[in-house]
Amino acid sequence: MPMGHTATQQAGTGGLKATEHRLANGLRVVLSEDHLTPVAAVCLWYDVGSRHEVKGRTGLAHLFEHLMFQGSAQVKGNGHFELVQGAGGSLNGTTSFERTNYFETMPAHQLELALWLEADRMGSLLVALDEEGLENQRDVVKNERRQRYDNVPYGTAFERLVGMAYPEGHPYHHTPIGSMADLDAASLEDARTFFRTYYAPNNAVLSVVGDIDPEQTLAWIEKYFGSIPSHDAKQPPRDGSLPDTIGEQLREVVEEEVPSRALMAAYRLPHDGTREADAADLALTVLGGGESSRLHNRLVRRDRSAVAAGFGLLRLAGAPSLGWLDVKTSAGVEVPDVEAAVDEELARFAEEGPTAEEMERAQAQLEREWLDRLATVGGRADELCRFAVLFGDPQLALTAVRRVLDITAEEVRDIARARLRPDNRAVLVYEPTAPAETDASGAAGDDQDDEGDRAQ
Amino acid sequence: MSDTAATMTFHPQPTAGAAKPWAFPAPERGELPNGLTVLRCHRPGQQVVAVEVNLDAPLDAEPAGLDGVATIMARALSEGTDKHSAEEFAAELERCGATLDAHADHPGVRVSLEVPVSRLARGLGLLADALRAPAFPDGEVERLVANRLDEIPHELANPARRASMALSKELFPADSRPSRPRQGTEETVRRIDATAVRAFYEAHVRPSTSTAVVVGDLTGVDLDQVLADTLGSWSGGPAPQRTYPAITADDTARVVIVDRPGAVQTQLLIGRIGADRHDRVWPAQVLGTYCLGGTLTSRLDQVLREEKGYTYGVRSFGQVLRSMPDGSGAAMLAITGSVATEVTGPALEDTWRVLRTLAEEGLTDEERDVAVQNLVGVAPLKFETAAAVAGTLADQVEQHLPDDFQAHLYARLAETGTVEATAAVVNAFPVDRLVTVLVGDAAAIEEPVRALGIGEVTVVSG
Repeated sequence: MPMGHTATQQAGTGGLKATEHRLANGLRVVLSEDHLTPVAAVCLWYDVGSRHEVKGRTGLAHLFEHLMFQGSAQVKGNGHFELVQGAGGSLNGTTSFERTNYFETMPAHQLELALWLEADRMGSLLVALDEEGLENQRDVVKNERRQRYDNVPYGTAFERLVGMAYPEGHPYHHTPIGSMADLDAASLEDARTFFRTYYAPNNAVLSVVGDIDPEQTLAWIEKYFGSIPSHDAKQPPRDGSLPDTIGEQLREVVEEEVPSRALMAAYRLPHDGTREADAADLALTVLGGGESSRLHNRLVRRDRSAVAAGFGLLRLAGAPSLGWLDVKTSAGVEVPDVEAAVDEELARFAEEGPTAEEMERAQAQLEREWLDRLATVGGRADELCRFAVLFGDPQLALTAVRRVLDITAEEVRDIARARLRPDNRAVLVYEPTAPAETDASGAAGDDQDDEGDRAQ
Repeated sequence: MSDTAATMTFHPQPTAGAAKPWAFPAPERGELPNGLTVLRCHRPGQQVVAVEVNLDAPLDAEPAGLDGVATIMARALSEGTDKHSAEEFAAELERCGATLDAHADHPGVRVSLEVPVSRLARGLGLLADALRAPAFPDGEVERLVANRLDEIPHELANPARRASMALSKELFPADSRPSRPRQGTEETVRRIDATAVRAFYEAHVRPSTSTAVVVGDLTGVDLDQVLADTLGSWSGGPAPQRTYPAITADDTARVVIVDRPGAVQTQLLIGRIGADRHDRVWPAQVLGTYCLGGTLTSRLDQVLREEKGYTYGVRSFGQVLRSMPDGSGAAMLAITGSVATEVTGPALEDTWRVLRTLAEEGLTDEERDVAVQNLVGVAPLKFETAAAVAGTLADQVEQHLPDDFQAHLYARLAETGTVEATAAVVNAFPVDRLVTVLVGDAAAIEEPVRALGIGEVTVVSG
């Protein structure tokens, strides 16, 4: 079948280029120029995530990320935030299964400050790290956990699905937020050891993207980062490989005070960086990626059995990726009815594969999402780091969308047939414990949502 | 312990280079023969074009007892046209790699299209169909109503949303639209049908009272021709002049606890109303509010997060409800965040202490300077994407502001002094005129909150 989708002229690189460099201490550097707007993004990926944590210390990588904002040899207390924001920049850090990233977007003339700050904490965090900072950030992170997971309906669903999809003892069995007990147990010595093990120039990739002078930028990087010693304390992460399929249907039923019944499931999918992962992305998009997807049309439009129905993809490089089904039922609808409809749609899709029109739509959607990621210098810097850290080649970021557009309908059908099967999923069912009550004032939805940038 | 630090060469903190000029983009304003106002803005490199359309269909215009009809109408715009069924329309949009969202709020309905520039004509064609000839099929409207009813329990279960609803109910007079949920209640949504949706559309949606904002890399695009072929074909008669009731609120200090037995955190929302963007105090209010709670290094988080660890973060903000040249508009001014249940009393006590100290001692010049440097300095970052520029231009239109408001705001912020910023934020958050909503475990928090004396306490069921 001919490719259903014609790439837009800008697909992929849009003329973007990236150059690669390596300092003597092993720090890999990726630079990409773009002079359209006077801004520059600095992004630093450390090759450490929750998969590197050990039993009893879940959440340590993320807690540690918070400690990176508590000052270093030349930066007092909250100085990192104060200096970047005072320079008209924005910043944050995030932790995932496979990496920890730190990023600043600066007005172009303030780029050197961001490089100085990142180098200072890479080289000297332990000078400033103390018990008081640890105790404080431990409380902050526990409140982050409460706010994002424990105090919202279905908040722990992802954690439960991951816990089932990756078996006990697997490095991806737990999520980056960690458990309350483990957060309580983390000690200053744990944090110091973590830094000495993973925070080294030879375990990081630095990208700088935007309105930069590459020669000058490289000189600054050499000046600030060049003297930080490399070290090789890091052990390779525990093996994350698993059989292609789970081999049985796992199932957990949660009875909780939630507003409606829900059917969720995690499917084991191919590793990121493979053609099969791109094919799976397209399959999930056709099935559950928008308002014209098969599950939306079936459950929300035709059967009217669901408030929302869709699929998401968590791409992972060091373990199988995870396809996440999420269906919230309409009032009065039972989970088995929804589940039967989902199974029917998945089975039919595995049999028939996508139509040419569905391929065109899915590829167009994924292409736009990619253009969105590349629309900011920060987004580009992050993608360059991602491909450098996880796949050893930042240039792959510039061709990623072409690879998605190159996938055929047969490949999409084949991956659906092989992986989107009942014996390759962990199912999570929510049954509300009390009828969803509505307040006497009448129910409703205000949509005030004006959070500014959330720090960390 | 400083083994690594010992071997690293330290350098002094670098100084900034010369700032490069940047200005908020000036749009080109025009009008199509059908009366539609068009703002366009070329942003080199932005391959995804953002189109924002303002429809003058405010929530105040919803018929009595039909709260939510603006929301259902907004959603129904993309549920089929004179050319496509609902399913076909969704498929056509996605074929362009486009997204189309529509949303009803107090000032009006906003329709947002994002589409790669290579498919702009197709995307605008679909947007034009949705505005010009929505089918509003009975079955689809019925489904949207049912879906909306199903959403309501999810919103009530969300602590932040529940707090927002409770605060609106407390602040505004019961017979005023802002006191009631934007998207309607179960009772009112149930009454909505295709006839009501069409009537609302016919009364309030027409090109002569609408504005389209188009932003992106328009190199090689004949936008005049594309617009003429798409939005230019939309027609409608002139509209009667609209009047708006002034927004008023009762900010008598009081506390409402929305009971959530067993909740591990308390959601805080502490608010009142204040000046909108037409008020001369706006820049000073923005600056002062940022110093109070705009970021992690602001006064509230310095204490509540970085000193005490009570929260993941608390923010203060000013959000425009409606902004009017005649002074009848208002902004919601509020402090929001969530704190661990067992420290709810101490966290509120600290919040009030921060506010009192601010009123007594004022902001420091250094605080003011850093805030100005941030608010002004981040502008080129904040407006990197076409969507961000389009959103702000459309907000200005919706709020009856000139197209260069944002561009001038940066100059006004830079001219605002410490004394003005202090006065503005102290007036915005007076300790004895704040309505506090707490969504949390009443059994655990009621007594400590009463003891604070921050207003009469009532408990309602969650």
